[in-house]
Amino acid sequence: MTTKAAITTPVEQRSARFKGALQLLRATLAEIFDESAYQRFLTRSELNSSRASYAMFVKEQEIRKARQPKCC
Amino acid sequence: MPKLLRVLMWIFVALSGALAIATIAIHRGEQINAMWLVVAAVCTYAIGYRFYSKFISAKVLALDVQRATPAERLENGRDFVPTNKWVVFGHHFAAIAGPGPLVGPVLAAQFGYLPGTLWILAGAVFGGCVQDFVILLFSVRRDGKSLTEIAREEIGRVGGWVAYVSVISIIVILLGVCALVVVNALKSSPWGTFTIAMTIPIALLMGVYLRRIRPGRVLETSVLGFILVMLAIWGGQWASQTPTVAHWFTLTAPTLAIVIIVYGFAASALPVWLLLAPRDYLSTFVKLGTIGLLAVGIIVLHPTLHMPALTRFVDGSGPVFAGNVFPFAFITIACGAISGFHSLIASGTTPKLIRNEIETRMVGYGAMLAESMVAIMATIAACVLQPGIYFAINSPAGIVGSAPEAAATTISNWGFPVVAADMHALAQAVGEQTLYNRTGGAPAFAVGMAHIFSNSLGGQALMAIWYHFAIMFEALFILTVLDAGTRVGRFMVQDALGHIWKPLGRTSWYPSILATSALIVGAWGYFLWQGVKDPLGGINSLWPLFGIANQLLAIVAFCVATTIIVKMGKARYATVTLTPLVWLVAVTFTAAWHKIFDPNIRIGFLSHARMLAASRGSARLIFNDRLDAAVTGILISMIALILIESAITWIQVVAGNREARIHEAPFVATQFAVEQ
Repeated sequence: MTTKAAITTPVEQRSARFKGALQLLRATLAEIFDESAYQRFLTRSELNSSRASYAMFVKEQEIRKARQPKCC
Repeated sequence: MPKLLRVLMWIFVALSGALAIATIAIHRGEQINAMWLVVAAVCTYAIGYRFYSKFISAKVLALDVQRATPAERLENGRDFVPTNKWVVFGHHFAAIAGPGPLVGPVLAAQFGYLPGTLWILAGAVFGGCVQDFVILLFSVRRDGKSLTEIAREEIGRVGGWVAYVSVISIIVILLGVCALVVVNALKSSPWGTFTIAMTIPIALLMGVYLRRIRPGRVLETSVLGFILVMLAIWGGQWASQTPTVAHWFTLTAPTLAIVIIVYGFAASALPVWLLLAPRDYLSTFVKLGTIGLLAVGIIVLHPTLHMPALTRFVDGSGPVFAGNVFPFAFITIACGAISGFHSLIASGTTPKLIRNEIETRMVGYGAMLAESMVAIMATIAACVLQPGIYFAINSPAGIVGSAPEAAATTISNWGFPVVAADMHALAQAVGEQTLYNRTGGAPAFAVGMAHIFSNSLGGQALMAIWYHFAIMFEALFILTVLDAGTRVGRFMVQDALGHIWKPLGRTSWYPSILATSALIVGAWGYFLWQGVKDPLGGINSLWPLFGIANQLLAIVAFCVATTIIVKMGKARYATVTLTPLVWLVAVTFTAAWHKIFDPNIRIGFLSHARMLAASRGSARLIFNDRLDAAVTGILISMIALILIESAITWIQVVAGNREARIHEAPFVATQFAVEQ
């Protein structure tokens, strides 16, 4: 059986790897900057993004965020 | 990769590292290239990670790929979320990397580049990374519990209580010292003060934009904030050259201290979304970008180090801070080698994101290696400066005098030639009135960073922009630590006071918020005021106090880790945590002894107080010295208590006189592994 990996060219493989790395960087930044946390909040609460839902998210985050020490 | 090739590759890495370390250690009287430090660091970290951390994973901690983490078992989409290891790595690194690894190595460069570099490399590989790794894993195995909770469960009530008081103390001292670094960087600097002042309305604007206009678009808002900050840096030049505006932003150290104290109180009492959160995002954005830029700059430009390997000040007579290379180099550089504060992060948010406990090695050990690399870059930034310039910037007026010619003569007489006219030209080039007596490390780092970048990007014409970019970056960093630290301290005090009277523990009750904010801000504000009024610049007495407090917290973390390892029946491997613990005890107890009792008035708090009393000096300065001595003594006594309690536990467990009960969450097989 011919696998997909066997028929992809080196250029395609490099391109896929590059895309993967970019996606990972985007995901890391989204986690650091709480965008992922907001998406999880929307999924969990079954809400759409709006001022009101972001306000609810911020309120939920308030205590958690404020209790996180920042290192020296 | 074939095994033979792998073996040959690691032999090559080891030999390259050994050659680089030998080069930086053996060269005397010749300038060396910064790349030797980079190669030494990269090879040391690679070997430490590949072999030492793997040994700890396999033999000491026995990481279990089959064991479900709290992120999997308790997943709630809020605190507990199984997350990709690289994402957690980035998140953890962003939380542990603060201004410490930039400031400490710059101050310790007064001994030359060698002591600091060796300590950063060895301290990180054998100490700091081990601490972060083991505490992260032990927190993962305890449902993400905090260091203070683990200490109470595994060591005893005294351990928990000492950990709690240590955390509060270190936060207060840290905030006071950090604020002092900002004051010393911004005093009489209208450009810098204008830029930093502008970050407050920028953060408020970001808060409103994020909440009202583009909800949840944090990255986009941060990019916008960054552009506004860059405009503020550019505007700062205009402000400094416009006499009426410059007048408003040319502030003395005491005025700046008052402004920062008022700001700290406001930031603690305002809603998180309005100031703290957007400022945190902006600071993180600038931090990650600048660290990356500095790394690229050093590698591409590979500058020459002008600072010698060792200076005459290893004898303890240094102008930046007094004290011998042992123990003071080892408490001056805390973050970047070993930082007790990291144990709070490693037992905070990070353990709740770990998907598989195998990944604690990369996140805990690996992220600390990355922070250590930042400290190496800071060492390079300080050591590319001509030593005379470095000492002119970092020496307080109380040591070298405030007149430029007198200061230049004193420093030149130490064997580090500097000319007043050159210092004036440098100050002009970076857009400052003077660079003398800018203690605290931040201005020297900024000049070093501007020096590196101005050799490529924009040349000398952009030197002033680069300098103020670096000042803005550090001040923004530090003010974010100040905002967050004041709030964390406030919550901890409220938690404690809630046991006495319940309403005080309510985090939404405004009288309690105002009272506890005032308590925390008053505590660090006192240390800040003390530093501002100190004729020796404050850094001489306060930075060692901060270093001692931070390393004492690391002792608490290692006591907890060693106790758990002994209870796990792995006492034969306890040296992994016991060795850095013994080293830290030797360093901090010796440093504390010197800071309290040393007869040298530049080192010992009590001898300085006696000298002031004999010469009918300021009563306030005498009180400050005695207070600093008392704080150091209390901290050391508390740590002695936890050490004794821990040692008794180890002996009883090893002798079989005490049940070796550990408080891990029960084993549950991971579904992730099953699915795989």
